[in-house]
Amino acid sequence: MINFKNVSKVYEHEGEKLVAVNEVNLQVERGEIFGVIGFSGAGKSTLVRLVNQLEKPTEGEVLVDGQDVSSLSAKELRGMRRKISMIFQHFNLLESKTVYHNVAFPLILSGEPRDKVKKRVEKILDFVGLKDRANYYTDQLSGGQKQRVGIARALATSPDILLCDEATSALDPETTQSILELLRKIRDEYNVTILMITHEMNVVKDVCDRVAVMEDGEVIEQGSIFDLFTNPKHKTTHKFIQSVMKGDIPQSILIGIGENNHPRHIYRVTFLKEHAGEPVFSRIAKRFNVEVNILYGQILEIQETPFGNLIVELQGEDSEILKAVHYIEEVVSVERVMASAS
Amino acid sequence: MQVNLLDFWPRILEATQETLLMVSIALVLATVIGLPLGVALVVTRDHGLMENKIVFNVLNGVVNIFRSIPFIILLVAILPLTRLLVGTSIGTAAATVPLVLFSGPYIARLIESSLLDVNKGVIEAAQSMGATNWQIIYRVLLPEALSTIALNLTIASIGLVGASAMAGFVGGGGLGDLAISYGYQRFETDIMIVTVILLIIIVQAFQAIGNYLSKKLRRL
Ligand SMILES: Nc1ncnc2c1ncn2[C@@H]1O[C@H](COP(=O)(O)OP(=O)(O)OP(=O)(O)O)[C@@H](O)[C@H]1O
Ligand SMILES: [Mg+2]
Repeated sequence: MINFKNVSKVYEHEGEKLVAVNEVNLQVERGEIFGVIGFSGAGKSTLVRLVNQLEKPTEGEVLVDGQDVSSLSAKELRGMRRKISMIFQHFNLLESKTVYHNVAFPLILSGEPRDKVKKRVEKILDFVGLKDRANYYTDQLSGGQKQRVGIARALATSPDILLCDEATSALDPETTQSILELLRKIRDEYNVTILMITHEMNVVKDVCDRVAVMEDGEVIEQGSIFDLFTNPKHKTTHKFIQSVMKGDIPQSILIGIGENNHPRHIYRVTFLKEHAGEPVFSRIAKRFNVEVNILYGQILEIQETPFGNLIVELQGEDSEILKAVHYIEEVVSVERVMASAS
Repeated sequence: MQVNLLDFWPRILEATQETLLMVSIALVLATVIGLPLGVALVVTRDHGLMENKIVFNVLNGVVNIFRSIPFIILLVAILPLTRLLVGTSIGTAAATVPLVLFSGPYIARLIESSLLDVNKGVIEAAQSMGATNWQIIYRVLLPEALSTIALNLTIASIGLVGASAMAGFVGGGGLGDLAISYGYQRFETDIMIVTVILLIIIVQAFQAIGNYLSKKLRRL
């Protein structure tokens, strides 16, 4: 649906060149929610703005539905833009107009007849849950409501693609969740392809099917959200995962590890997709002469699959422990935690 | 020697009307010039909707030139033009010409700054919806700035009241003319005081109307 082919965007600022987007190759499929995550200045906004030509690429091409968007005439581009909606971090609503008028705005721009506009706006306002706010002005709304207006406005023209530039970054966690839910509902009910950029791993984790990680204008890693979580290859990716999942072992646990002459057997157990939810610990406790003591851990749900990281201590004879570890290694990843580890 | 204030009332009323007329006509005509000029300054500037260095620099220069001429000098300097346009160089109609030329460029600047205040994000949002540049001008820029424009035009109109008083020097009529020819040149202190009070009332009324309109126009 959206295809970035070797796309670069270079800004010239007082004679100096700044590569905001560097030879990016990405393919966003129809109907998916694709996330782009990166720290501030990574080039995410620039990337997304290339899709609707708010920025023009310096090199490469951006194909939407197979069409190179930079080859379109001004008129064709306006037509294309009506099929590619965008929502913004700071909502960008008309302050002088009511909620109703804001949502009607894109329809008025394309000259739709008044009664058709009315029907469409009422339907969309109902969909985003703002039916009773039609005659409010934007300064009478909360942040979450403003973003709902932004979303309603974006949906008014029945777009194929929805671009989200930090759509939840100005909102509190609870409101963020409700907006994300709405985005999922949009994808499911209207089959809209969503390209969203964010610096919050939480957002990506909850709604995206696939994700690309950006750094210094480059896409450094991409894949399904689950693969990224379970097998991050890049340090930056790791950092983002750690922002929602603590991989570090607390100091209080590390302290006890090397103290005795008799070293303790502490392991980090990571559950992988196919085996998440299998009762591995109770099995080894039954089968071998070991006891399992869970010291620390976290289980997250990613795309409806539990994924987690547990720090466990195995107690018993060394030989039994070894056998037990071998046994569970078949289904989970096990890594001995040493005192020196931190 | 002293004029009886009571007998003089009709003359004062007439002068008040002249002032109001001069200011209103000048305001309307100056806005007709200033509004498109202000819009042009905004859209042709760097990173504007229709960026155009040449047009911007020319307009910007012309506005600056007019803005740097003191009104009293403009008043005299354009007398030939005034005579050409209205057939005479004295009277209320004649005073309107320099007033328009004086405040047109000023209003252009005020409109420019009002429009520059409009949130860039909203303009971008309109672009992302496929709006044409003209649609952005009259459906985004102007409506969003209207409330600020109303306040700025109030400032301009009050400036016009002051300038119209100066037009009295060329016999332009109005309260200023009255104050100068009776109060100043003939030491009629009463008339001087009355005209000043009337000017104060007019300014207060303009400001009140402007504030009210601005508030109304915030929500369309
Ligand atoms: N119009 C511009 N002119 C010059 N440089 C720009 C322009 N827009 C962006 N840049 C530069 O390009 C780089 C990427 O910016 P971009 O806004 O895409 O980052 P981002 O990942 O969206 O960051 P954030 O999370 O802070 O929004 C930055 O270094 C920025 O300074
Ligand atoms: Mg950004």
